[in-house]
Amino acid sequence: MASGVLTPTRSEVLSLLRSLLRTAGDFSDYNIREYAKRRTIDGFRQNRHLSDPSTISAAFSEAKSQLEIAKRQAIVYNLYAPKAKSVMEIKQ
Amino acid sequence: MATISATSATFRSSLKPSTKINEMIGKTSVTVSWAKNGFPCFRVSCAAKPETVQKVCEIVRKQLALPAESEVTPESKFSALGADSLDTVEIVMGLEEEFGISVEEESSENITTVQEAADLIEKLVQKKVEA
Repeated sequence: MASGVLTPTRSEVLSLLRSLLRTAGDFSDYNIREYAKRRTIDGFRQNRHLSDPSTISAAFSEAKSQLEIAKRQAIVYNLYAPKAKSVMEIKQ
Repeated sequence: MATISATSATFRSSLKPSTKINEMIGKTSVTVSWAKNGFPCFRVSCAAKPETVQKVCEIVRKQLALPAESEVTPESKFSALGADSLDTVEIVMGLEEEFGISVEEESSENITTVQEAADLIEKLVQKKVEA
């Protein structure tokens, strides 16, 4: 089923990474923000050495769907964000 | 309204190009014309400020986990320091966060050395101040 899909190029992958990191930075909750950043970096690093086009496309589309989820959730979380900031965000 | 006039009164006494700045505080837009009196080199973006280069070096060093003795000069390429494309994207995101700027897709793919990153940052910060 994925045979008709073109393999993403390096720049597409990098711009997907950039969008994910930017969306991760939009979260108001410190914990979710840090987790999202960590998870995207770890996920991309883990799949760094893939060579099979179908696995690359599968990983790419999975990341894309995660990006959709993250964008939606960032908006929803910001609707009901608490005023109190996490203690990790207080600068010493 | 009273507080605004009070602050503009204090500016009047402390700064030299006073009348220009008072007008600008009244409006919401701020131009960079006060730079004409101070530093004419603001208009010409030839080289980045040393503090900017220093901050970029620090961020690169932290991202790539380089030991303190390793040399990070403005001319060092990221790839020479052991960064792959993922590291480069992370470094650019770190720079965006540190300086509060937003880097375009095409510009960030052209950054290969520390000096280029610092120059791009200077340009974007200047554009942000002018906006």
